[in-house]
Amino acid sequence: MMSTTPRSIARVLGAVTSLLIGLATPAHAIDLGFRDFQIHGFASQGYTHTSGNDFFGNSQDDGSLEFTELGLNVLGHPLPNLLFAVQGIYRDAGGSDKEDFRLDYANFDLSLPVRDNVTLGIRGGRVKNPFGLYNEARDAIWTRPSVLLPQSIYFDSLALREIELASDGGLLYGRFAFGDHALSAELVASDPRANASGATDFIVGFDSLAFRGTNNAPGSFEGRLLLVGRAGYEWREGLVRLFFTAVDFDHDFESSSPTFPSGNAKVFAPLISAQLNLEQWSLTGEYLRIDTERSGFTPGGVLLENTSESYYLQAQYRFAPGWSALARYDALFLNIDDHDGSASARLSGLPRDRFFAKDLTFGLRWEFLEDWLVAAEYHNIDGTAWLSPIDNPGINNPAQAREVSDGHWDLFTLMFSYRF
Amino acid sequence: MCQRSTAGDRLGAVNRGRRLALPVCCAVLTLWCFGASAADSRVVPYAGSRGSATSLTRTELRDIFFARQTKWPNGDPIRVFVLPDRHPLHVRFSKEVLGVYPYQLRSTWDRILYSGTGVPPTVVNTPQEVRERVDEAPGGIGYAEE
Repeated sequence: MMSTTPRSIARVLGAVTSLLIGLATPAHAIDLGFRDFQIHGFASQGYTHTSGNDFFGNSQDDGSLEFTELGLNVLGHPLPNLLFAVQGIYRDAGGSDKEDFRLDYANFDLSLPVRDNVTLGIRGGRVKNPFGLYNEARDAIWTRPSVLLPQSIYFDSLALREIELASDGGLLYGRFAFGDHALSAELVASDPRANASGATDFIVGFDSLAFRGTNNAPGSFEGRLLLVGRAGYEWREGLVRLFFTAVDFDHDFESSSPTFPSGNAKVFAPLISAQLNLEQWSLTGEYLRIDTERSGFTPGGVLLENTSESYYLQAQYRFAPGWSALARYDALFLNIDDHDGSASARLSGLPRDRFFAKDLTFGLRWEFLEDWLVAAEYHNIDGTAWLSPIDNPGINNPAQAREVSDGHWDLFTLMFSYRF
Repeated sequence: MCQRSTAGDRLGAVNRGRRLALPVCCAVLTLWCFGASAADSRVVPYAGSRGSATSLTRTELRDIFFARQTKWPNGDPIRVFVLPDRHPLHVRFSKEVLGVYPYQLRSTWDRILYSGTGVPPTVVNTPQEVRERVDEAPGGIGYAEE
Protein backbone atom coordinates (compact mmCIF):
# COMPACT_ATOMS: atom_id res chain seq x y z
CA MET A 1 0.00 0.00 0.00
CA MET A 2 1.13 3.53 -0.73
CA SER A 3 2.13 5.29 2.46
CA THR A 4 1.63 9.03 2.95
CA THR A 5 5.27 10.02 3.18
CA PRO A 6 6.57 13.50 2.30
CA ARG A 7 8.11 11.93 -0.80
CA SER A 8 4.84 10.54 -2.10
CA ILE A 9 3.09 13.84 -1.37
CA ALA A 10 5.80 15.66 -3.30
CA ARG A 11 5.35 13.23 -6.15
CA VAL A 12 1.60 13.76 -6.31
CA LEU A 13 2.02 17.55 -6.10
CA GLY A 14 4.58 17.39 -8.88
CA ALA A 15 2.23 15.38 -11.06
CA VAL A 16 -0.68 17.79 -10.41
CA THR A 17 1.50 20.80 -11.17
CA SER A 18 2.76 19.41 -14.43
CA LEU A 19 -0.81 18.46 -15.30
CA LEU A 20 -2.05 22.03 -14.77
CA ILE A 21 0.87 23.56 -16.64
CA GLY A 22 0.32 21.10 -19.44
CA LEU A 23 -3.37 21.89 -19.75
CA ALA A 24 -2.75 25.62 -19.77
CA THR A 25 -0.11 25.57 -22.50
CA PRO A 26 -0.37 22.84 -25.13
CA ALA A 27 3.30 22.98 -26.03
CA HIS A 28 4.74 20.42 -28.44
CA ALA A 29 8.41 20.67 -27.59
CA ILE A 30 10.77 23.36 -26.42
CA ASP A 31 12.61 24.83 -29.36
CA LEU A 32 16.08 25.86 -28.25
CA GLY A 33 16.52 28.30 -31.13
CA PHE A 34 19.87 26.80 -32.14
CA ARG A 35 19.52 24.88 -35.39
CA ASP A 36 16.94 22.13 -34.81
CA PHE A 37 17.83 21.54 -31.15
CA GLN A 38 14.77 20.79 -29.06
CA ILE A 39 13.79 19.52 -25.62
CA HIS A 40 11.10 16.91 -25.09
CA GLY A 41 9.84 15.33 -21.92
CA PHE A 42 7.26 12.91 -20.60
CA ALA A 43 5.69 12.00 -17.28
CA SER A 44 3.79 8.77 -16.76
CA GLN A 45 2.12 7.49 -13.62
CA GLY A 46 0.78 3.97 -13.31
CA TYR A 47 -1.48 2.13 -10.92
CA THR A 48 -1.20 -1.65 -10.55
CA HIS A 49 -3.57 -4.02 -8.80
CA THR A 50 -3.06 -7.78 -8.53
CA SER A 51 -5.27 -10.53 -7.13
CA GLY A 52 -2.18 -12.41 -5.92
CA ASN A 53 1.60 -11.85 -6.01
CA ASP A 54 3.17 -8.39 -6.09
CA PHE A 55 4.14 -6.56 -9.25
CA PHE A 56 5.71 -3.09 -9.15
CA GLY A 57 5.33 -2.67 -5.39
CA ASN A 58 2.68 -3.99 -3.00
CA SER A 59 0.04 -4.34 -5.66
CA GLN A 60 -2.41 -6.53 -3.76
CA ASP A 61 -5.31 -5.11 -1.68
CA ASP A 62 -5.37 -1.37 -2.44
CA GLY A 63 -2.96 -1.62 -5.33
CA SER A 64 0.34 0.14 -5.94
CA LEU A 65 1.27 3.53 -7.34
CA GLU A 66 4.91 2.52 -7.62
CA PHE A 67 5.15 2.83 -11.37
CA THR A 68 6.48 6.20 -12.41
CA GLU A 69 8.41 7.05 -15.55
CA LEU A 70 9.82 10.54 -16.10
CA GLY A 71 12.03 11.45 -19.05
CA LEU A 72 13.71 14.54 -20.41
CA ASN A 73 15.79 14.70 -23.57
CA VAL A 74 17.72 17.17 -25.69
CA LEU A 75 18.48 16.43 -29.30
CA GLY A 76 19.52 18.19 -32.46
CA HIS A 77 21.97 18.41 -35.36
CA PRO A 78 25.07 20.56 -34.83
CA LEU A 79 25.90 19.64 -38.44
CA PRO A 80 23.27 18.49 -40.93
CA ASN A 81 24.48 14.87 -40.83
CA LEU A 82 25.57 14.75 -37.20
CA LEU A 83 23.03 14.12 -34.45
CA PHE A 84 23.55 14.67 -30.74
CA ALA A 85 21.01 13.18 -28.37
CA VAL A 86 20.84 12.70 -24.64
CA GLN A 87 18.00 11.48 -22.42
CA GLY A 88 17.73 11.17 -18.66
CA ILE A 89 15.11 8.98 -17.05
CA TYR A 90 13.77 8.61 -13.55
CA ARG A 91 11.99 5.32 -13.08
CA ASP A 92 10.30 3.69 -10.13
CA ALA A 93 8.80 0.24 -10.56
CA GLY A 94 8.50 -1.25 -7.10
CA GLY A 95 11.29 -3.57 -5.99
CA SER A 96 12.32 -4.29 -9.55
CA ASP A 97 13.82 -0.89 -10.24
CA LYS A 98 16.36 0.85 -8.10
CA GLU A 99 14.33 3.98 -8.39
CA ASP A 100 16.78 6.57 -9.47
CA PHE A 101 17.73 8.96 -12.21
CA ARG A 102 19.80 7.39 -14.98
CA LEU A 103 21.34 8.27 -18.29
CA ASP A 104 19.11 6.45 -20.76
CA TYR A 105 20.96 7.35 -23.92
CA ALA A 106 23.76 9.77 -24.73
CA ASN A 107 25.03 9.34 -28.23
CA PHE A 108 26.19 11.00 -31.41
CA ASP A 109 25.08 9.67 -34.76
CA LEU A 110 26.85 10.37 -38.03
CA SER A 111 24.96 9.32 -41.14
CA LEU A 112 26.51 9.23 -44.57
CA PRO A 113 24.29 8.92 -47.63
CA VAL A 114 26.44 6.77 -49.90
CA ARG A 115 24.10 6.83 -52.86
CA ASP A 116 20.50 7.93 -53.31
CA ASN A 117 19.19 4.72 -51.81
CA VAL A 118 22.01 3.66 -49.51
CA THR A 119 22.83 5.15 -46.11
CA LEU A 120 25.59 4.09 -43.75
CA GLY A 121 26.03 5.45 -40.27
CA ILE A 122 27.84 5.17 -37.00
CA ARG A 123 26.54 5.86 -33.52
CA GLY A 124 28.57 5.97 -30.33
CA GLY A 125 28.20 6.58 -26.61
CA ARG A 126 25.45 5.03 -24.56
CA VAL A 127 23.28 3.60 -27.31
CA LYS A 128 19.91 1.88 -27.05
CA ASN A 129 20.10 -1.76 -28.08
CA PRO A 130 18.35 -2.62 -31.34
CA PHE A 131 16.50 -5.62 -29.91
CA GLY A 132 13.17 -6.62 -31.45
CA LEU A 133 10.37 -4.18 -32.12
CA TYR A 134 9.95 -2.27 -28.87
CA ASN A 135 13.20 -2.24 -26.91
CA GLU A 136 14.87 0.99 -27.98
CA ALA A 137 12.24 3.43 -26.77
CA ARG A 138 10.33 1.31 -24.30
CA ASP A 139 10.39 3.55 -21.23
CA ALA A 140 8.02 6.02 -22.89
CA ILE A 141 4.52 4.55 -22.96
CA TRP A 142 4.00 6.54 -26.17
CA THR A 143 5.96 3.86 -28.02
CA ARG A 144 4.29 0.92 -26.27
CA PRO A 145 1.03 -0.64 -27.41
CA SER A 146 0.06 -1.25 -23.78
CA VAL A 147 1.04 -0.23 -20.24
CA LEU A 148 3.16 -3.37 -19.93
CA LEU A 149 5.12 -4.79 -22.84
CA PRO A 150 4.97 -8.57 -23.25
CA GLN A 151 7.00 -9.62 -20.22
CA SER A 152 8.26 -12.84 -21.80
CA ILE A 153 10.58 -10.81 -24.04
CA TYR A 154 10.77 -7.30 -22.57
CA PHE A 155 11.66 -8.16 -18.98
CA ASP A 156 10.62 -5.37 -16.63
CA SER A 157 10.79 -7.12 -13.29
CA LEU A 158 13.97 -9.13 -13.81
CA ALA A 159 17.56 -8.03 -13.39
CA LEU A 160 18.26 -8.48 -17.10
CA ARG A 161 16.35 -5.31 -17.95
CA GLU A 162 19.31 -2.94 -17.73
CA ILE A 163 21.53 -5.03 -20.00
CA GLU A 164 18.71 -5.45 -22.47
CA LEU A 165 18.04 -1.73 -22.65
CA ALA A 166 21.27 0.02 -23.57
CA SER A 167 25.00 -0.49 -24.06
CA ASP A 168 28.09 1.66 -23.78
CA GLY A 169 29.83 1.31 -27.09
CA GLY A 170 29.40 1.80 -30.78
CA LEU A 171 26.85 0.89 -33.39
CA LEU A 172 27.17 0.64 -37.16
CA TYR A 173 24.07 0.76 -39.30
CA GLY A 174 23.06 0.66 -42.91
CA ARG A 175 19.90 1.03 -44.95
CA PHE A 176 19.28 0.07 -48.55
CA ALA A 177 16.00 1.06 -50.21
CA PHE A 178 14.52 0.02 -53.52
CA GLY A 179 11.04 1.24 -54.35
CA ASP A 180 8.72 0.42 -51.46
CA HIS A 181 11.22 -2.03 -49.99
CA ALA A 182 13.94 -1.28 -47.46
CA LEU A 183 16.59 -3.50 -45.92
CA SER A 184 18.40 -2.42 -42.78
CA ALA A 185 21.13 -3.74 -40.52
CA GLU A 186 22.51 -2.60 -37.18
CA LEU A 187 25.40 -4.02 -35.19
CA VAL A 188 26.34 -2.99 -31.65
CA ALA A 189 29.66 -3.86 -30.05
CA SER A 190 29.76 -2.77 -26.46
CA ASP A 191 30.85 -3.21 -22.93
CA PRO A 192 27.77 -4.93 -21.50
CA ARG A 193 26.39 -3.39 -18.33
CA ALA A 194 26.63 -6.83 -16.79
CA ASN A 195 27.79 -5.52 -13.45
CA ALA A 196 24.65 -3.37 -13.19
CA SER A 197 21.90 -3.91 -10.67
CA GLY A 198 21.83 -7.58 -9.86
CA ALA A 199 22.37 -8.73 -13.43
CA THR A 200 25.49 -10.57 -12.31
CA ASP A 201 23.48 -13.04 -10.25
CA PHE A 202 21.17 -13.59 -13.11
CA ILE A 203 23.87 -14.29 -15.65
CA VAL A 204 26.00 -16.59 -13.55
CA GLY A 205 22.90 -18.37 -12.28
CA PHE A 206 23.38 -17.66 -8.59
CA ASP A 207 19.76 -16.61 -8.41
CA SER A 208 18.64 -20.01 -9.54
CA LEU A 209 18.52 -23.52 -8.12
CA ALA A 210 21.39 -24.10 -5.68
CA PHE A 211 22.09 -20.42 -5.23
CA ARG A 212 18.54 -19.12 -4.97
CA GLY A 213 18.18 -16.52 -2.31
CA THR A 214 21.70 -15.15 -2.39
CA ASN A 215 22.13 -11.62 -3.63
CA ASN A 216 24.92 -9.79 -5.39
CA ALA A 217 27.50 -12.40 -6.19
CA PRO A 218 30.82 -10.74 -5.32
CA GLY A 219 33.12 -10.32 -8.28
CA SER A 220 33.06 -8.91 -11.75
CA PHE A 221 32.80 -9.80 -15.40
CA GLU A 222 35.64 -9.75 -17.86
CA GLY A 223 35.44 -10.68 -21.47
CA ARG A 224 35.01 -9.74 -25.05
CA LEU A 225 32.50 -7.22 -26.28
CA LEU A 226 28.79 -7.91 -26.25
CA LEU A 227 27.39 -8.13 -29.77
CA VAL A 228 23.83 -7.23 -30.67
CA GLY A 229 22.80 -7.38 -34.31
CA ARG A 230 19.50 -6.72 -35.99
CA ALA A 231 18.59 -7.16 -39.63
CA GLY A 232 15.29 -5.92 -40.97
CA TYR A 233 13.01 -5.69 -43.95
CA GLU A 234 10.28 -3.09 -44.22
CA TRP A 235 7.69 -2.66 -46.91
CA ARG A 236 6.12 0.72 -47.54
CA GLU A 237 7.47 2.50 -44.48
CA GLY A 238 6.49 -0.27 -42.10
CA LEU A 239 3.19 -1.70 -43.35
CA VAL A 240 5.12 -4.93 -43.14
CA ARG A 241 8.08 -5.17 -40.74
CA LEU A 242 10.28 -8.23 -40.33
CA PHE A 243 13.31 -8.31 -38.04
CA PHE A 244 15.87 -10.80 -36.91
CA THR A 245 17.88 -9.93 -33.80
CA ALA A 246 20.73 -11.86 -32.21
CA VAL A 247 22.50 -11.20 -28.93
CA ASP A 248 25.85 -12.82 -28.22
CA PHE A 249 27.53 -12.62 -24.82
CA ASP A 250 30.60 -14.49 -23.59
CA HIS A 251 32.18 -13.47 -20.29
CA ASP A 252 34.28 -14.89 -17.50
CA PHE A 253 33.12 -14.20 -13.99
CA GLU A 254 35.95 -13.53 -11.55
CA SER A 255 34.70 -14.16 -8.05
CA SER A 256 36.23 -12.08 -5.27
CA SER A 257 34.91 -14.34 -2.52
CA PRO A 258 36.11 -17.82 -1.57
CA THR A 259 32.51 -18.99 -1.09
CA PHE A 260 31.50 -18.20 -4.69
CA PRO A 261 33.16 -20.02 -7.58
CA SER A 262 34.47 -18.29 -10.70
CA GLY A 263 33.31 -19.46 -14.09
CA ASN A 264 32.23 -18.61 -17.59
CA ALA A 265 28.83 -17.67 -18.98
CA LYS A 266 27.81 -17.68 -22.62
CA VAL A 267 24.47 -16.38 -23.79
CA PHE A 268 23.11 -16.52 -27.31
CA ALA A 269 19.63 -15.17 -27.97
CA PRO A 270 17.94 -15.13 -31.38
CA LEU A 271 14.70 -13.15 -31.73
CA ILE A 272 12.34 -13.11 -34.69
CA SER A 273 9.84 -10.26 -35.04
CA ALA A 274 7.01 -9.70 -37.50
CA GLN A 275 4.42 -6.96 -37.76
CA LEU A 276 1.62 -6.18 -40.20
CA ASN A 277 0.19 -2.66 -40.05
CA LEU A 278 -3.16 -1.98 -41.72
CA GLU A 279 -5.17 1.21 -41.45
CA GLN A 280 -7.13 0.03 -38.42
CA TRP A 281 -5.38 -3.19 -37.44
CA SER A 282 -1.85 -4.04 -36.39
CA LEU A 283 -0.84 -7.67 -35.92
CA THR A 284 2.43 -8.40 -34.16
CA GLY A 285 4.33 -11.50 -33.14
CA GLU A 286 7.80 -12.11 -31.72
CA TYR A 287 9.63 -15.31 -30.83
CA LEU A 288 12.75 -15.49 -28.63
CA ARG A 289 15.05 -18.20 -27.41
CA ILE A 290 17.81 -17.63 -24.88
CA ASP A 291 20.56 -20.27 -24.89
CA THR A 292 22.81 -20.15 -21.86
CA GLU A 293 25.94 -22.17 -21.16
CA ARG A 294 27.48 -21.83 -17.74
CA SER A 295 30.62 -23.61 -16.67
CA GLY A 296 32.67 -23.62 -13.48
CA PHE A 297 29.93 -22.38 -11.19
CA THR A 298 29.06 -25.77 -9.76
CA PRO A 299 31.33 -28.29 -8.04
CA GLY A 300 33.22 -30.34 -10.60
CA GLY A 301 32.78 -27.61 -13.20
CA VAL A 302 29.88 -29.28 -14.94
CA LEU A 303 28.61 -27.47 -18.03
CA LEU A 304 25.07 -26.29 -17.39
CA GLU A 305 23.03 -25.69 -20.51
CA ASN A 306 19.56 -24.25 -20.73
CA THR A 307 17.29 -22.84 -23.41
CA SER A 308 14.26 -20.74 -22.64
CA GLU A 309 11.39 -19.96 -25.00
CA SER A 310 9.28 -16.80 -25.24
CA TYR A 311 6.66 -15.63 -27.69
CA TYR A 312 3.58 -13.50 -28.04
CA LEU A 313 0.88 -12.73 -30.56
CA GLN A 314 -0.81 -9.36 -30.40
CA ALA A 315 -3.67 -7.62 -32.22
CA GLN A 316 -4.33 -3.89 -32.00
CA TYR A 317 -7.50 -2.31 -33.37
CA ARG A 318 -7.70 1.45 -33.89
CA PHE A 319 -11.49 1.78 -33.81
CA ALA A 320 -11.86 5.56 -33.45
CA PRO A 321 -9.50 8.56 -33.62
CA GLY A 322 -7.24 8.41 -30.58
CA TRP A 323 -8.60 5.03 -29.43
CA SER A 324 -7.15 1.57 -29.73
CA ALA A 325 -7.95 -1.83 -28.28
CA LEU A 326 -5.48 -4.63 -27.74
CA ALA A 327 -5.57 -8.39 -27.26
CA ARG A 328 -2.41 -10.40 -26.65
CA TYR A 329 -1.29 -13.85 -25.66
CA ASP A 330 2.22 -13.93 -24.19
CA ALA A 331 4.10 -17.00 -23.00
CA LEU A 332 7.45 -17.64 -21.31
CA PHE A 333 8.95 -21.06 -20.59
CA LEU A 334 12.22 -20.95 -18.66
CA ASN A 335 13.14 -24.38 -20.02
CA ILE A 336 12.04 -25.18 -23.54
CA ASP A 337 12.06 -28.92 -22.79
CA ASP A 338 9.98 -28.52 -19.64
CA HIS A 339 6.96 -26.39 -20.57
CA ASP A 340 4.92 -27.45 -17.55
CA GLY A 341 7.84 -26.89 -15.18
CA SER A 342 7.55 -30.33 -13.58
CA ALA A 343 11.18 -31.38 -14.06
CA SER A 344 12.51 -28.01 -12.83
CA ALA A 345 10.11 -28.21 -9.89
CA ARG A 346 11.45 -31.64 -8.89
CA LEU A 347 15.05 -30.39 -9.03
CA SER A 348 14.46 -27.15 -7.15
CA GLY A 349 11.60 -27.88 -4.77
CA LEU A 350 9.81 -24.80 -6.08
CA PRO A 351 6.26 -24.89 -7.46
CA ARG A 352 5.91 -25.80 -11.16
CA ASP A 353 4.41 -22.43 -12.02
CA ARG A 354 7.65 -20.65 -11.09
CA PHE A 355 9.07 -21.89 -14.42
CA PHE A 356 6.52 -20.52 -16.87
CA ALA A 357 4.10 -17.62 -17.34
CA LYS A 358 1.18 -17.49 -19.76
CA ASP A 359 -0.44 -14.08 -19.90
CA LEU A 360 -3.69 -13.26 -21.71
CA THR A 361 -4.15 -9.49 -21.95
CA PHE A 362 -6.97 -7.17 -23.04
CA GLY A 363 -6.30 -3.46 -23.12
CA LEU A 364 -7.64 -0.05 -24.13
CA ARG A 365 -5.69 3.07 -24.88
CA TRP A 366 -7.07 6.56 -25.42
CA GLU A 367 -5.22 9.71 -26.42
CA PHE A 368 -7.86 12.01 -24.99
CA LEU A 369 -6.02 15.21 -25.83
CA GLU A 370 -3.03 15.84 -28.02
CA ASP A 371 -0.01 14.62 -26.01
CA TRP A 372 -2.14 13.09 -23.24
CA LEU A 373 -3.05 9.46 -22.93
CA VAL A 374 -4.57 6.96 -20.59
CA ALA A 375 -4.19 3.21 -21.02
CA ALA A 376 -5.71 0.38 -19.03
CA GLU A 377 -5.44 -3.37 -19.29
CA TYR A 378 -6.41 -6.61 -17.68
CA HIS A 379 -4.03 -9.58 -17.54
CA ASN A 380 -5.04 -13.12 -16.72
CA ILE A 381 -1.83 -14.93 -15.83
CA ASP A 382 -0.99 -18.56 -15.31
CA GLY A 383 2.49 -18.91 -13.80
CA THR A 384 4.95 -16.68 -11.96
CA ALA A 385 8.16 -16.94 -14.04
CA TRP A 386 8.64 -13.21 -14.57
CA LEU A 387 7.82 -12.07 -11.04
CA SER A 388 10.50 -10.13 -9.18
CA PRO A 389 11.97 -11.92 -6.13
CA ILE A 390 12.50 -8.49 -4.57
CA ASP A 391 8.80 -7.62 -4.72
CA ASN A 392 7.95 -11.21 -3.75
CA PRO A 393 10.35 -12.27 -0.99
CA GLY A 394 10.37 -15.99 -0.42
CA ILE A 395 9.27 -16.83 -3.94
CA ASN A 396 12.63 -18.50 -4.62
CA ASN A 397 12.64 -20.35 -1.31
CA PRO A 398 11.24 -23.91 -1.57
CA ALA A 399 9.94 -23.74 1.99
CA GLN A 400 7.96 -20.52 1.43
CA ALA A 401 7.24 -20.26 -2.28
CA ARG A 402 3.86 -22.04 -2.18
CA GLU A 403 2.68 -19.82 0.61
CA VAL A 404 3.83 -16.47 -0.76
CA SER A 405 2.94 -16.91 -4.43
CA ASP A 406 -0.20 -17.58 -6.41
CA GLY A 407 0.09 -19.58 -9.63
CA HIS A 408 -3.12 -18.20 -11.14
CA TRP A 409 -3.49 -14.50 -10.77
CA ASP A 410 -4.98 -11.37 -12.32
CA LEU A 411 -3.30 -8.05 -12.90
CA PHE A 412 -5.03 -4.76 -13.66
CA THR A 413 -3.01 -1.72 -14.62
CA LEU A 414 -3.82 1.86 -15.52
CA MET A 415 -1.43 4.56 -16.67
CA PHE A 416 -1.71 8.27 -17.43
CA SER A 417 0.90 10.06 -19.43
CA TYR A 418 1.66 13.57 -20.58
CA ARG A 419 4.44 14.63 -22.89
CA PHE A 420 5.74 17.70 -24.63
CA MET B 1 -11.90 -6.59 -49.72
CA CYS B 2 -10.04 -9.13 -51.76
CA GLN B 3 -12.96 -11.51 -51.69
CA ARG B 4 -15.29 -8.86 -52.98
CA SER B 5 -13.21 -8.11 -56.08
CA THR B 6 -12.70 -11.81 -56.70
CA ALA B 7 -16.46 -12.28 -56.59
CA GLY B 8 -16.85 -9.41 -59.08
CA ASP B 9 -14.41 -11.03 -61.44
CA ARG B 10 -16.43 -14.21 -61.47
CA LEU B 11 -19.26 -12.33 -63.18
CA GLY B 12 -16.97 -11.81 -66.19
CA ALA B 13 -14.83 -14.32 -68.01
CA VAL B 14 -13.69 -16.85 -65.45
CA ASN B 15 -10.21 -17.37 -66.85
CA ARG B 16 -9.51 -13.71 -67.32
CA GLY B 17 -10.93 -13.11 -63.89
CA ARG B 18 -8.54 -15.57 -62.33
CA ARG B 19 -5.64 -13.93 -64.06
CA LEU B 20 -6.79 -10.49 -63.01
CA ALA B 21 -7.80 -11.38 -59.48
CA LEU B 22 -4.50 -10.49 -57.87
CA PRO B 23 -3.84 -7.19 -59.66
CA VAL B 24 -7.46 -6.09 -59.21
CA CYS B 25 -7.29 -7.02 -55.59
CA CYS B 26 -4.13 -5.00 -55.11
CA ALA B 27 -5.50 -2.02 -57.01
CA VAL B 28 -8.74 -1.98 -55.06
CA LEU B 29 -6.86 -2.38 -51.81
CA THR B 30 -4.50 0.45 -52.72
CA LEU B 31 -7.35 2.76 -53.68
CA TRP B 32 -9.18 1.86 -50.53
CA CYS B 33 -6.14 2.29 -48.32
CA PHE B 34 -4.85 5.51 -49.77
CA GLY B 35 -8.09 6.59 -51.40
CA ALA B 36 -8.13 9.86 -53.28
CA SER B 37 -10.13 12.32 -51.26
CA ALA B 38 -13.15 13.93 -52.89
CA ALA B 39 -11.88 17.39 -51.99
CA ASP B 40 -11.19 19.78 -54.87
CA SER B 41 -8.01 21.19 -53.36
CA ARG B 42 -4.59 19.60 -53.54
CA VAL B 43 -2.12 19.11 -50.74
CA VAL B 44 1.43 19.78 -51.80
CA PRO B 45 4.80 19.94 -50.08
CA TYR B 46 5.73 23.53 -49.29
CA ALA B 47 9.28 24.80 -49.08
CA GLY B 48 8.76 28.58 -49.20
CA SER B 49 11.35 30.48 -51.16
CA ARG B 50 13.12 27.21 -51.96
CA GLY B 51 10.09 26.68 -54.18
CA SER B 52 11.19 23.42 -55.71
CA ALA B 53 9.47 21.18 -53.16
CA THR B 54 6.79 20.11 -55.63
CA SER B 55 9.46 18.46 -57.80
CA LEU B 56 10.54 16.11 -55.01
CA THR B 57 9.65 12.48 -55.60
CA ARG B 58 7.56 10.49 -53.15
CA THR B 59 10.69 8.56 -52.12
CA GLU B 60 12.56 11.79 -51.40
CA LEU B 61 9.60 13.19 -49.46
CA ARG B 62 9.37 10.00 -47.39
CA ASP B 63 13.10 10.20 -46.59
CA ILE B 64 12.59 13.78 -45.43
CA PHE B 65 9.34 13.34 -43.46
CA PHE B 66 10.47 10.08 -41.84
CA ALA B 67 13.55 12.06 -40.69
CA ARG B 68 16.10 9.90 -42.51
CA GLN B 69 17.37 12.66 -44.75
CA THR B 70 18.57 15.68 -42.80
CA LYS B 71 20.53 17.60 -45.42
CA TRP B 72 19.54 19.22 -48.74
CA PRO B 73 21.74 18.49 -51.77
CA ASN B 74 23.27 21.99 -51.40
CA GLY B 75 24.34 21.14 -47.84
CA ASP B 76 21.68 23.11 -45.95
CA PRO B 77 20.13 21.37 -42.95
CA ILE B 78 16.52 20.28 -43.43
CA ARG B 79 13.88 21.54 -40.98
CA VAL B 80 10.50 19.84 -41.17
CA PHE B 81 7.26 21.44 -39.91
CA VAL B 82 4.01 19.51 -39.57
CA LEU B 83 0.51 19.90 -38.13
CA PRO B 84 -0.85 17.78 -35.25
CA ASP B 85 -1.48 14.11 -36.08
CA ARG B 86 -5.25 14.42 -36.40
CA HIS B 87 -5.31 17.70 -38.39
CA PRO B 88 -7.19 17.01 -41.68
CA LEU B 89 -4.39 18.54 -43.75
CA HIS B 90 -1.80 16.33 -42.04
CA VAL B 91 -3.93 13.25 -42.63
CA ARG B 92 -4.34 14.17 -46.31
CA PHE B 93 -0.63 14.89 -46.80
CA SER B 94 0.30 11.57 -45.18
CA LYS B 95 -2.10 9.53 -47.28
CA GLU B 96 -2.22 11.38 -50.59
CA VAL B 97 1.35 12.60 -50.91
CA LEU B 98 3.47 10.22 -48.82
CA GLY B 99 1.16 7.22 -49.28
CA VAL B 100 1.29 6.22 -45.60
CA TYR B 101 -1.06 6.32 -42.62
CA PRO B 102 -0.42 9.16 -40.16
CA TYR B 103 0.24 6.64 -37.38
CA GLN B 104 3.24 5.26 -39.31
CA LEU B 105 4.85 8.71 -39.17
CA ARG B 106 3.98 9.13 -35.51
CA SER B 107 5.37 5.76 -34.49
CA THR B 108 8.63 6.43 -36.33
CA TRP B 109 8.94 9.91 -34.81
CA ASP B 110 8.29 8.57 -31.31
CA ARG B 111 10.79 5.76 -31.81
CA ILE B 112 13.61 8.05 -32.94
CA LEU B 113 12.80 10.60 -30.25
CA TYR B 114 12.84 8.19 -27.32
CA SER B 115 15.78 6.15 -28.60
CA GLY B 116 17.99 9.13 -29.46
CA THR B 117 18.35 8.24 -33.12
CA GLY B 118 16.77 11.21 -34.88
CA VAL B 119 14.95 14.52 -34.54
CA PRO B 120 11.20 14.45 -35.16
CA PRO B 121 9.57 17.30 -37.11
CA THR B 122 8.43 20.40 -35.28
CA VAL B 123 4.67 20.34 -34.72
CA VAL B 124 2.84 23.66 -35.15
CA ASN B 125 -0.85 24.39 -34.76
CA THR B 126 -2.12 25.96 -37.99
CA PRO B 127 -1.43 25.72 -41.75
CA GLN B 128 -0.59 29.44 -41.62
CA GLU B 129 2.05 28.70 -38.99
CA VAL B 130 3.54 25.94 -41.14
CA ARG B 131 4.06 28.48 -43.97
CA GLU B 132 5.51 31.08 -41.61
CA ARG B 133 7.96 28.70 -39.96
CA VAL B 134 9.05 27.26 -43.31
CA ASP B 135 9.57 30.76 -44.72
CA GLU B 136 11.67 31.75 -41.69
CA ALA B 137 13.84 28.63 -41.47
CA PRO B 138 16.62 28.16 -43.99
CA GLY B 139 16.08 24.66 -45.34
CA GLY B 140 12.49 24.50 -44.06
CA ILE B 141 9.84 22.24 -45.54
CA GLY B 142 6.21 21.55 -44.70
CA TYR B 143 2.99 21.24 -46.67
CA ALA B 144 0.12 23.43 -47.78
CA GLU B 145 -3.26 23.29 -49.46
CA GLU B 146 -3.65 24.87 -52.86
